[in-house]
Parts: sequence; C-alpha cells; structure tokens
Amino acid sequence: MKRAAVPLAVLAIIALLLAPLRLNGYAINLLYVTVLSIALAYGWNIISGYAGYFSFGQIAFFGVGAYATALIVVNLHWYWMAAALAGGVLALALAIPLGYVMLRLRGPFFAMGMFGMAQMVRVLVTAVPATGSGSGLFLPPGSGITEVYYWTLAICLGAIALTVWIDRSAFGLRLQALREDEQVAATLGVETTRAKITAFGLSALIPGLLGGGYALFLTYIEPDAVFSSRLDLQSIVMAILGGLGTVWGPLIGGLVMTQISEALWARFPQIYLMIFGGLLVVLLIALPRGIVPALAARFARRSGA
Amino acid sequence: MPQMRKRRRVVLQAWHMSAPLLVVEDVSLAFGGVQALNGVSLEVREGEIFALIGPNGAGKTTLFNVISGVLRPDGGDVRFAGRSILGWAPHRIARAGVARTYQIVRPFGRLSVVDNVAVGALVHARTIGQARNDARDVVGFVGLGAYADRPASSLTLTQRKRLEVARALALRPKLLLLDEVMAGLTPTEMDGMAEFVQHLSERGIAAIAGIEHVMRLVMRISHRIVVLDAGRRIAEGDPAAIQTDPAVIEAYLGAPLAGAG
Amino acid sequence: MILLQLAINGVLLGGVLALSALGFNIVFGVMRVVNLAHGDFVVLAAVFAAFGFAQFGVNPLLLLPLTIVAGFAAGALIHHVLLRRLPGEVASAEASSLTLTFGLSYFLTGAGLAAFGGRFVSVPYLTGAFRVGEVSVPQARLLAFVVAVVLSLGFALLLRSTALGRAIRATSQNLDGALACGVDVDRVRTLAFAIGTAVATAAGTLMSFLYNLNAQQGVLFTVNAFAVVVIGGLGNYTGAVIGALILGLTESFASYFMGATLAEAAPYLLFILVLLFAPGGLRGRRAA
Ligand SMILES: Nc1ncnc2c1ncn2[C@@H]1O[C@H](COP(=O)(O)OP(=O)(O)OP(=O)(O)O)[C@@H](O)[C@H]1O
Ligand SMILES: [Mg+2]
Repeated sequence: MKRAAVPLAVLAIIALLLAPLRLNGYAINLLYVTVLSIALAYGWNIISGYAGYFSFGQIAFFGVGAYATALIVVNLHWYWMAAALAGGVLALALAIPLGYVMLRLRGPFFAMGMFGMAQMVRVLVTAVPATGSGSGLFLPPGSGITEVYYWTLAICLGAIALTVWIDRSAFGLRLQALREDEQVAATLGVETTRAKITAFGLSALIPGLLGGGYALFLTYIEPDAVFSSRLDLQSIVMAILGGLGTVWGPLIGGLVMTQISEALWARFPQIYLMIFGGLLVVLLIALPRGIVPALAARFARRSGA
Repeated sequence: MPQMRKRRRVVLQAWHMSAPLLVVEDVSLAFGGVQALNGVSLEVREGEIFALIGPNGAGKTTLFNVISGVLRPDGGDVRFAGRSILGWAPHRIARAGVARTYQIVRPFGRLSVVDNVAVGALVHARTIGQARNDARDVVGFVGLGAYADRPASSLTLTQRKRLEVARALALRPKLLLLDEVMAGLTPTEMDGMAEFVQHLSERGIAAIAGIEHVMRLVMRISHRIVVLDAGRRIAEGDPAAIQTDPAVIEAYLGAPLAGAG
Repeated sequence: MILLQLAINGVLLGGVLALSALGFNIVFGVMRVVNLAHGDFVVLAAVFAAFGFAQFGVNPLLLLPLTIVAGFAAGALIHHVLLRRLPGEVASAEASSLTLTFGLSYFLTGAGLAAFGGRFVSVPYLTGAFRVGEVSVPQARLLAFVVAVVLSLGFALLLRSTALGRAIRATSQNLDGALACGVDVDRVRTLAFAIGTAVATAAGTLMSFLYNLNAQQGVLFTVNAFAVVVIGGLGNYTGAVIGALILGLTESFASYFMGATLAEAAPYLLFILVLLFAPGGLRGRRAA
C-alpha cells in the first residue's frame, strides 16, 4: 500500500496540473473550490487537529488575506500574486500577537472566543471606509481562473507537505502532547506557548495566502463573501470527517464532502443545509474519529489477524 | 538499638556532606480559604531518597505542583541547584532537571507508549528519531517494552504508573518527584518499584523525592522523611525517628477530640 | 432622559436574554457541553411563533406551552439518541460534543429555512407603548420581560425545591459526588438537556416580539447566551441573570452611541474581554 502511494500521488498531481487545459468553466470552478476548501481544512487541522485548539474563527485570516490583496491590487497596482503573498504574511503577522492573547483560553472558550474575534474583524471591515464600508470592492479584471487555480493548488500541496512534515517532526509530537494534556506536556519540557503560537500562525498563514486568490476569483469582495461561514464550516467538517489531526484526513474528508455536497446542492437545494448538518451528526456518531482512523484501525485489524 | 543509632549517624553524616539539590523555603499557598501550604521548608540532597508523607489533604501534591512550576506560591522561595526557580515556567524547570509524575495518572491517551516517553526525551535528543530511540530504552527499562507501540490508553493502571515514571526519567532529571507511584500496585509490584527507586538513587541517576502512603516501603528505603499535616511541616528525620515522633502519631491517628481535654 | 430610556430598553432586553442564557447554562453546568445549537432552538421557536401569528392569528403567548413542550421533547430525544453516544474519553469528549452540536445547529437552520423560508419575520403584537413622562416603555418588550422573569423564577424554583433540581445542582457541582450519592446521571443529563432546549424555545417565542428573525440568525443567540454565561460565570445561575442585564444594557447603549454596525461588535468585544481578563466570570470563581 505504502509503495503504491508515491506513484499514485505523482499521477494525481500531474492530473491536477493538466486539469485546466481540459476542463470547462463549471468544472474548473468546482475543482478550484474543492482544492480551496481542502487547503483551508489543512490549515485548520494544524491548530485544531494537531494542537487540539478548536477554532471557529480561522476564516478571519482568509478574509484579511482577501481584503489585503484587494486593497493592494486596487491602490498599489501590484501583481496579484505578490499582493496575495503579502496578504498571507499580514495574516501571519496578526496571528502571532492574537495567538499570544487568545491561546490562553481553552476548549469551548477558545472556540467561541475565536468566533467572536472573527465576527469583530468582519464588523470592523464593514465599518472602515477604505474597504468600501461593507458595500464591497471591485478588483480590476484580467487574471483568469487558471492563475487563481494554480496559486491555490500550490498552496494546497504546500499545506499537505507541511502537514506530512509536522506529523513526523518533533514539533508535531509536541503539539499532540499538548493536545492530550497541556500541563503534563509542560512538565515534560514542552514549551507549550511557543508551540501553540507557531501552530496558530501556520493555521493563519494558509488561509491568509488563499484569501487573495479568492478575491481574484470573485472579482468583487464584500465582508459576507470572504468572512464566509459556509467556507469555514465546510473546511472544518472536512477535517473532522476525514480524521482530526491526521495527515490524510482533510484530503479524504474533503473529497468525500465535495462529492456529497455537490450531489445535495444539485438535487435538494431547499434542504441542502439540513441534510448536510444531519449527515455530520450521523457521521460523528458512526465514526467518532473520522474516516482515516477508522480505515487505519480496520486495516490494522485485518493485517494483524 | 545501638546499631540503629549508628546507622542513623552514618546517614546523617552523608546527608551533611552532600550539597542541597532542592531547597524549599517557607512556602505558603492558599486555595480560597484552604491554606494548603503554610510556611513549609525542606531540603533534598543529591543522591538521596527523600520521602514526603502526611495524611490526605496535607498539601503534599500541592507542594510538588509548586516545585514543578504548575502552581505559584503566595510566598516563599524554591531553589534548585543553587538558583531560585520561583516563577519559572514548568518547561524550564523540567529542562533544568526536575521531573515529576502525577498521582492520578495522566497518559497522553492517543499517543503510543514510545511517543509518550519521547516527548520528554526530546529535551536532550537532537532529532525525533533519536528521541524515540532513547524513549524505547527507557520504556524497556521500566518493563513496558512489549507495549511500546500500543496507544497509552490501552494500558492498565499499573502500566500507566510505570509510564508516568518512564516519561519523567526520559528527561534525565537530577531530581525525580514521584507522587504515590506505589498506590494501586500489588505487594510484589511495590517491591519491584521500591527496588527500582533504590537502583536509581544508588546508581546516582537521580535524587528521589517521593510522596508515599505505603509506610512499610517508606520506612525501608527512604533516607529521610518530612511529615506534612494540614499544610505545615510537623516533623523531619530518619525513618526510626519519624516512627516514634508523637506529633506524627497524633497527625495519623487524628487530633484529640475537641473539648476532650 | 435618553439615558434612562436606553437603560430601560437594556433591562427589558436583558430579561429575555437571561431566560435564554439559563437554558444554555444548565446544559453546560450539568454536561459540560457548549450547545452550539442553542440559538437555533431560540430562533426556530421565534420563527414558528411568527408563522403561527401570521397564518392563523394565534396569540404567541398561547403558543408558549406548546413550544416549551416541543422543545423539551426535542431536547430529550436529541440527548437520548445522539449526545449520549459520544465517546467518553476525556480528551476528545469536548471536541466531539462541540462538533455534534455544530452539526445539529446547521441541521436546525436548514430545517427552519426549509419549513419557514428565509424571510425575516416577527410578531406584530402589542405594538403600542406606555408613556411615563418622556420615557416610553414598549408594551411587547414589557410583556416579554415579565413573562421571562416569571419563567426564570419558575426555573429557579425547579432547581431549588425539587428532587430533580437538587440532582441537577449536585451534578453541576461535582459529578463524582453525584455518582457516589446514587444520582442517575444519565437521566439527569437527559432532563437537563431537555429543560435547556425547552427554556431556549420559550425564550425564542418571546424573542419574536422583539426581533425580526429568520432561521439563519441562530448563531446570534448562541453567542449571546455564551456571552451572558461567560460574564456571569459558567454554571452560575445568579451570575447569568447579572450577565444578561450587563449584555442587554451594553447592546442598548452601544446601538445608540456607536451606530448599528459597530454595535454589532459590542457583545463580541465584551465577552472576549471578560474571557481574557475575568476567566471565571465577573462574579469570581475561576473555571477549572
Ligand atoms: N486546585 C485546587 N483548588 C482548590 N483546592 C485544592 C486544589 N488542589 C488541592 N486543594 C486542596 O488543598 C489541600 C491539599 O491538597 P493536596 O492534593 O496537596 O493534598 P495531598 O497531601 O496530596 O493529599 P492526598 O494524600 O490525598 O493526595 C486539600 O485540602 C485540597 O482539597
Ligand atoms: Mg496528593
């Protein structure tokens, strides 16, 4: 199984690289949104899956990246990828002091605190005139979906590579230890604050980088579009469904989810949300640890027998 | 009797010669209205097996929490290897050489036994591979070799107690704080653990400060004992002296009835 | 005068917020579950009441017993079928209950949208106001406040003077102790969750007098309840009432002095500040 994985991955990447040459507009949009949400799920998985700090506010960094990119492109006329990069760096720069403050909170307090933080950022953006005061900003047309897609794909692959590294590194072990029991980790020599803030920063950098692409994709941004609770929800559900704190959870969860989501959207637009929420509940009861750990357990049992 | 007295003198001489590794000075801590620690002072010397005993709720675990940096005392000082470690973050104290176990075992349930131990080993190892190798050695050393790759949540209570010790040992501490590692073990296992603790001390691996309720073992292996009761230090001495100390006997039998005297 | 008026508005709002928060608080106190679907129960009841009023002219106060019973039944069912089955491992229990109620929240939002559509509705009931000098007291708000206070008192009575109430308080304070005293914790939890949702739906019915709502606004009320409870101290029932008054006053004053847009941020700001600087709530007692 392990040996088949590498060529399979190479094939998949080649297919993803060639996809824009072959696909029509609808399909490429769908592919973009899929890759985007998987990348967001990987970003969320670091702080929430590996470090165990459930955040309901990482979408704030996505919004910050999107607005920063839009403002830079509109006012300074940078090439958009440079602006998006700056957006990511800004998200990271904001995340470090914010993490220092917010990561003192634990469990539901952190989760809801981050939710409140994201809402405040959204309200502030709406109130500031430079951002178009909630009525939005138009971006100059020109960059096609293909560019946005490649940018997003690159970040998604980068996020996967980063997760593979984390999963095998001392840093990842420290994160998992503090997820299990922060006090014990600290008395075993883990510098928990630093590890948490690093994880939080990475979990902000990824959506921060992705936000700029999304702004270009929409060509017009407003607060509700980029501080999108739907995207946030979707990526969180993907990571949980696939398996929190696992390397392949967000990818597997993401693929399964987009299939289900697309089918539901098309067939039951009226009760889409209802089925979606219900499905999450049922899956959580059936596979409390997600798809990847369930498969791993089954595989281990079979090969052990 | 004379034989006993002689042994006691020898031990005391050894004690005065070795340097103090840990000095707790006049430490106080209150939880709301409960004065958990009330001006407690004590010393642990290098190479020593030191026991901290006292009735339930005496403040023993709280003192360990203060030493390991988990709690900050209201007053007093804690010095380790000559430096005050008061106000240090727990990870810094751990890296300086003070390791502890938890009375109520707290394994990292979803991590393997080796990874549980590797967390501590990371402090000295240069790579994670090396940390895991070191961890494997320690896991074997405490007799959990057969369970190395199982998740810690699958261990029995006895095994979890061993895991607590293994994680702490992986830090290569100069001082090992053991909080009731005997509780819940069978008599044979207790003897095994006692031997293990003696081995650590004799080989100079670490000084031991243990909280223990199992008096048979405390009296057999410890060099020196401090007794806490209701947050105060009520006695100090070698096992023989403690066993006959009236204050200690009273604390364990309970205070005389109010109004009776 | 305007200050007095704002204060009155704030207190009247605070009464209804307190009721909603009590429901949230009992669930947290007994089960250590942050119920992210709490606000959806509130909103669903509100939208339902507005629907009943618009379609059949049913007085929402008459609907109150119905929404309470329905909320209770739904809560008991949800706990019995879903929450009870979550894995009990300490490390993941919190995460999985958050996730579960998160999914439930979307389910209820979707159900509300499917059943009642996305239009913002409210109950145009008792639209007049009492005038006392220059101060006006909207009748609907006053009524909602009075009913909320009555229900909150009933809730307090239930907690204080019934065997169930004692079992609930015992479980909130010390799970192991309650287990040792032979409390049927599973049953207490089911009842606590059922009472929590019943209180939420009751509060929601009253909210229909105060707000224009659609099924997607649930999050607002979850956050409100969470904010109230954080300010008052989790699991602390008197604290929740004080927290609700503080939040009601904050919303009332902020929307006057800061404008509607920025005022939206006020509850978030307030609760983040309390979380960071007074983690046990304003009434002390640190959360464990
Ligand atoms: N986190 C805490 N909050 C409030 N009170 C506490 C806390 N930890 C300990 N206490 C109280 O401080 C006192 C000392 O407790 P401690 O756990 O140190 O006792 P101990 O000597 O270790 O007892 P045991 O032998 O039962 O383990 C007790 O009265 C206990 O209830
Ligand atoms: Mg103790």
